[in-house]
Amino acid sequence: MANKSVWSDNRFWRRTATWVTGFASVLLIWLTFDTSAQIAMGNDQDLQNKVTKRVPGPTVINYKITYEMSAKRGHEIPVIGEKEKFFGRDDYSEEEAGALLHLGKLGSQAKNCMDCHTLLGNGAYFAPDLTKAWLDPAWGPDGAMQALTGKNTKEEAMAEFLMHPDQYPTHARMMPDLGITAKEAKGLVAFLKHMSSIDTNGFPRNFGKIKGAVHGK
Amino acid sequence: MFEPFTDVNPSFFGWLNQGPLTLTIFLHTIIILPMIWIYFQEKKRLENEN
Repeated sequence: MANKSVWSDNRFWRRTATWVTGFASVLLIWLTFDTSAQIAMGNDQDLQNKVTKRVPGPTVINYKITYEMSAKRGHEIPVIGEKEKFFGRDDYSEEEAGALLHLGKLGSQAKNCMDCHTLLGNGAYFAPDLTKAWLDPAWGPDGAMQALTGKNTKEEAMAEFLMHPDQYPTHARMMPDLGITAKEAKGLVAFLKHMSSIDTNGFPRNFGKIKGAVHGK
Repeated sequence: MFEPFTDVNPSFFGWLNQGPLTLTIFLHTIIILPMIWIYFQEKKRLENEN
């Protein structure tokens, strides 16, 4: 009888498949727990002690957030700075800030923001990506949106825009009036501010440089 | 080939994701090398059976 090739031998393929499947399963289970730990939300203590978390605690809305180029990581990262007033206050407790974010999250789902916008990579690209909307210079002191809405702060300008988007047509594709109340708008702006503080490894790539991806540019 | 570690938190999976080849080298080491070992084991077994 001629020598049987290993390549046509069932045992070789069975052992290989067992090894690859078994090893991949272990790796994926490990990856699941590793990821869960890395994306777990931080808390107020972390913020006070300057502990860097991918997802900071809700009280991050009490702080100034900037977006700075990191030479080491090769992309921009959100940097949490000094205290900053948010709707006139910088002392939101963990419960208050958490409730605001929760209201904003529910609002974003009820109004179906993702039907047009992208949030953290999920949603549509019909309207600007909202992942880093809070850091968009258009809403800052030198941007057009504060003057346009007649407000003096970023959060008030954003809330005003959200309540009456059809009065401030910034895009050829105008945002419709979704009947957002003042309370909901405050929650939504808090939700957007918190989202911008999440370290997304530089996503969306080249934020602020893509024409049309950022409001008012 | 091996870039300096730049992830937020040090982790095994962060290390795997640092350069274009790190994941490839890891998977080849862990999957292909044992396959070669299994191959020669099975080859020896088939030869002995004959």
